[in-house]
Amino acid sequence: MNAGLAPYDLRQVPALLRGEWQMINAWIAEWSLPRAVFHVVTIVIGAGLFGAAVGGWRAPLQAAYTAAKLPLIILLTVLGNALLNGMFAPLLGLNLRFRQSLLAILLSFTTAAVILGAFSPLMWFLVWNAPPLAADEAACSTAYRFIQITQAAVIAVAGIVANLRLVQLLRQLSGSAAAARRVLFAWLAGNLLLGSQLAWILRPFIGSPNLPLEFLRPNAFEGNFYETLFRAFKQLFAG
Amino acid sequence: MNESILPPPVASAPPVCALNPNDPGSDPAERAPIRGPLAAVAAILRQPRRVMHQLHQPSSGNLALVLLLIVAGCSLVYGGVVGTFSGGAQIWVAALKTMLVLLASALICLPSLYVFACLSGADVRLGELTGLLAGELALVAVLLIGFAPVAWVFGRSTESVAAMGALHLVFGLVATGFGLRFLASAFRNLNARSKGGLRLWMVIWVTVMLQMTTALRPIVSPAAGTFLPETKQFFLQHWIECLK
Repeated sequence: MNAGLAPYDLRQVPALLRGEWQMINAWIAEWSLPRAVFHVVTIVIGAGLFGAAVGGWRAPLQAAYTAAKLPLIILLTVLGNALLNGMFAPLLGLNLRFRQSLLAILLSFTTAAVILGAFSPLMWFLVWNAPPLAADEAACSTAYRFIQITQAAVIAVAGIVANLRLVQLLRQLSGSAAAARRVLFAWLAGNLLLGSQLAWILRPFIGSPNLPLEFLRPNAFEGNFYETLFRAFKQLFAG
Repeated sequence: MNESILPPPVASAPPVCALNPNDPGSDPAERAPIRGPLAAVAAILRQPRRVMHQLHQPSSGNLALVLLLIVAGCSLVYGGVVGTFSGGAQIWVAALKTMLVLLASALICLPSLYVFACLSGADVRLGELTGLLAGELALVAVLLIGFAPVAWVFGRSTESVAAMGALHLVFGLVATGFGLRFLASAFRNLNARSKGGLRLWMVIWVTVMLQMTTALRPIVSPAAGTFLPETKQFFLQHWIECLK
């Protein structure tokens, strides 16, 4: 019954969250450009709302920047890894066509974006209650860190739930839990690698209180996320 | 000619799909419509399953609206009682703020409740969930009315803002506990596969309500000139300052 939902039907969102596999399998089996566009739009709205709430602490312009950047990271990660992910699936025991694997990943990110969108009023409330940028340095710095941690926690929850749904979907498609796990880990590794670097390039998201408001940092393309992480660990252990 | 042998139409019958004896609506008394605020108050206290069943029906918008009116009315009255501690303009300011605490928290938390409900596999519409949240809040607000005389008596006999704040907090938490029990019971009837999401949401809900009381302060103590505070504080930080 639900498999017949129109490509732009909003009821697709709760069906996706509930994991109505009969319908989701039908979406995967038959490629539909309008349906893919619907999921892209959902990602733009959901992640955009969350981004706007997070960036709103720094300034309205930062809210607009972050609202654009979060969906951009997701969509660029999906597109950038589409070929690789499409290759991994059959190699690891899941006989999916390129478009099917693209759609499966898109559905997973749609789930994450809907969760982010649902948390955006909470994030907005938190930001509204945080000391503003004009407050004293200590309060401002505490607020910045608190928003950072909360943002990371919400994104982590959304990511975990989305990947749990994705592995269930892969299990449905392959009929094998082991193959589903293999494909999920391969896709996760690729998406984490590219996604973290894209996030690094597109920083800032909240906007450090001590740095000017800008869309990209002047050194956006210098270094990478892992290099910086490695240096931070090195400094930590070198004393 | 064939019309005479056709069975009578059943389309006009009320949508009763409760086949499981544990489902709300399995008892005929639970299928009786709830008309008006007084009937809704009685039902939310005595027959919560009747409220759940009525909210599950496609035309549950009126009941949800009645429940929201109960929330608004009861929270205004309880807030007014909270405001009598300081007196003067604070009576209506506290009334308005108490209503805002409940309704604004609901508005902020409804999207996440819907997402958690769907993720747990619950078969629920956004409209039905809005009604259930309104039912939860109505139960909280009605219970607060029950606490109002006690709060008023204490307000006449103490001058400590911290003591009164703590008392209202206890009343609020007790009422919220009953409200959440109603919501958890409704979730069970929505065929939710897991409770983890609802439990996490309950933590978020209580945190948001507590923070809302701080964001809209002062509610108990006299107003300091502006309707909203000029400084932002986390609720724990505010409580610690009140206790100093």
